[in-house]
Amino acid sequence: MNRKEFLSDCGKMGMAGVALSLFPWLESCTEKAKQEVHGEKARIGIIGTGSRGVFHIKNLLQLQQAEVVALCDNYRPHLDDAAQYYPKAKLYEDYRQLLDDKNVQGVIIATPLYLHGRMTIDAMNAGKSVFCEKSMAFTLDEALEVYNRRKELGSVLFIGQQRLFDPKYVKAMSMIHEGVIGDVVGVRNYWYRNNDWRREVPSPELERHINWRLYREYSRGLMTELACHQLQNGSWAMGMLPEKVMGSGSLIHWNKVDKRDVYDCVTAIFTYPNGVNMTFESIISNKHFGMGEQILGSKGTIDLVTGMHYTDEPMPKGSGMHQLVEQIERGVMSNSVFAGTSWAAETGSTAPGMPIMPNVKVVTGESSVGAEADGSKELVDAFLHAVITGKQPEKVLEESYYATQFALLADKAMHENAILTLEDKYRVPYVPLGSR
Amino acid sequence: MQFQFSDKNPHHPVTYASFFSMHTRIELVATGFTEEKGRELAQSIEAEVKAMEHRFNRFDDTSPMSVVNMRATNEAVTVDDELFMALELCEAFRRGTGGYFDVATASAATDEGYAVSYLLDPKKHTVKFTHQGVSLDLGGFAKGFALEQVCRRVREAGAENALINFGNSSVAAIGHHPYGECWSVGVEHTKVKGTMAREIKLNNGAMSVSGRNSDGVYHIVNPITGGLVAGDELVIVEGRSALVCEVLSTALYAAPRAQRSVIMKQYEGYTATELYCREGGSCEIRTIDCNK
Repeated sequence: MNRKEFLSDCGKMGMAGVALSLFPWLESCTEKAKQEVHGEKARIGIIGTGSRGVFHIKNLLQLQQAEVVALCDNYRPHLDDAAQYYPKAKLYEDYRQLLDDKNVQGVIIATPLYLHGRMTIDAMNAGKSVFCEKSMAFTLDEALEVYNRRKELGSVLFIGQQRLFDPKYVKAMSMIHEGVIGDVVGVRNYWYRNNDWRREVPSPELERHINWRLYREYSRGLMTELACHQLQNGSWAMGMLPEKVMGSGSLIHWNKVDKRDVYDCVTAIFTYPNGVNMTFESIISNKHFGMGEQILGSKGTIDLVTGMHYTDEPMPKGSGMHQLVEQIERGVMSNSVFAGTSWAAETGSTAPGMPIMPNVKVVTGESSVGAEADGSKELVDAFLHAVITGKQPEKVLEESYYATQFALLADKAMHENAILTLEDKYRVPYVPLGSR
Repeated sequence: MQFQFSDKNPHHPVTYASFFSMHTRIELVATGFTEEKGRELAQSIEAEVKAMEHRFNRFDDTSPMSVVNMRATNEAVTVDDELFMALELCEAFRRGTGGYFDVATASAATDEGYAVSYLLDPKKHTVKFTHQGVSLDLGGFAKGFALEQVCRRVREAGAENALINFGNSSVAAIGHHPYGECWSVGVEHTKVKGTMAREIKLNNGAMSVSGRNSDGVYHIVNPITGGLVAGDELVIVEGRSALVCEVLSTALYAAPRAQRSVIMKQYEGYTATELYCREGGSCEIRTIDCNK
């Protein structure tokens, strides 16, 4: 989806104008903002050209404002692969050398989690605008350090939380804040896969370098790689942050085939100040239920992944009783076909839902690299706009910051077998969606 | 509640209301009311049906029906007049349908089969189960019973003409369409959606349809065998009482074909038909003949 299609979808949703007060970070998607950067290019350096880095490169190739001028990776095969897409880009094996390159205005960091915080701060210190993949940092302290440093420098900083730019999430959150599903009474997130989460390793000494996701020395596993995306949902929907977090994690399957030490099975519960719970569950040795994100309301449910709205009081399909009203208004009579056996939707779970917008793109969550039409391209496009204008969109960083902090806090709760709250020192100003 | 009032036709101002109760959508179309009277009537109907839903709902732990299910195995439970009357009617229908309508269908099977599962004492207004594992479910009775009460309330409010629809499977008429001699209700073809398989003309009468549900799922239990009834036909019953139509259509659908005529002999003034819909859109209608 390009910017024009995104805007078109926004228009179809009836939220042009309305959306910006609720979602200020979408301002770069407006026609006015597009004119602001017309003909200009953002000169970008990519740090980390593995699978996710190349995913971004493929998106950048389709974006008018993008000019990739530098590539960096300390694993030469990945760097050479990426260079095929941008043959004129300068190649670096040390990211600090890329940061010294004055031609680079902004960087996209797609490296292992343990490097995110350090690289982001170094890049901001070097005067670059930064897009860093989620999660924002490896520890609670490091995330705060990144946040505070950005504030001091006034840098542009985006984190790879692409749902912020996915039209169906934007539409769904608008509907939730309009009260379409009543009071939010629960948030369910799950992400199931059945694969070993491994990348091919050409030589054994590269195991931890390439499969960094599997080792706690570099990664926080499923919480920072998957949950971080979904934990935004509760805060978006309810306009508040969780009060306490508990969880349980285990290695139950894939430790039989390798020496990984991150959990392959996790469940976490986040309780909000109003008592509502948000859950996250991930198992990577069964994929039957795939990926799910559901906002449960007192009047209905919105399934964010499929873009469907289910009401708890569904109407029977095609009742002809309304036709009778029209007949009487017009002074005519004919038969109305509506009688039949019991209406099937005896329970909410079997009632048909309604798409929340036309042409909903459904992402399965099966790919561990990225997916088409999941908001990633729009997010990078917005970053390019910010690189050129130097303007940091409102609220976008705080949403990402708290997604990271609560993913890390849940991971901590699992390892400490404790119910935890986010300490005050980690709390930064948070303006909830819809209260602007 | 969804409420609509239209006086575009000044001769016949029309009220439409719909609400959700008893796991289905209930709709009313009535002529001759002012907007205020129409709204008042619709609200009172909704309140009455929802109160009835609570009283008869076995899944609501606080309902009188649940109290009976929880305690009547070990003691005779006293119930209020309305619930006792409902249970008496259910017992009369059980006998009148040869056991093919039975509110004890949800009960666990016993060595003796599914014979009498509960005893009513008219003097004390009590109900007592005959064995362990009995559970009463008024779901198949409550819609028809509620539809009767709604018709009474609409008549008392002074409706000229009205049509009331309980989830498409039970429909009751008061008077007739303002531009005809009856209300014409089309029964939808089960294989060709939106197409009429049969027209039912109602004038101060009711109809009920039983069969697979609208998603094609078998859902009616045979009280004699305890298994799901796997008939592909629809059974349509027409007659004066919405409650009798509802009960009869369920019982006839559950009963073997040979038994259906026998049951119909008990219900003078009611007509029943079997409707077989075919893939190509054609239909076959067979009357269940009570003289056989």
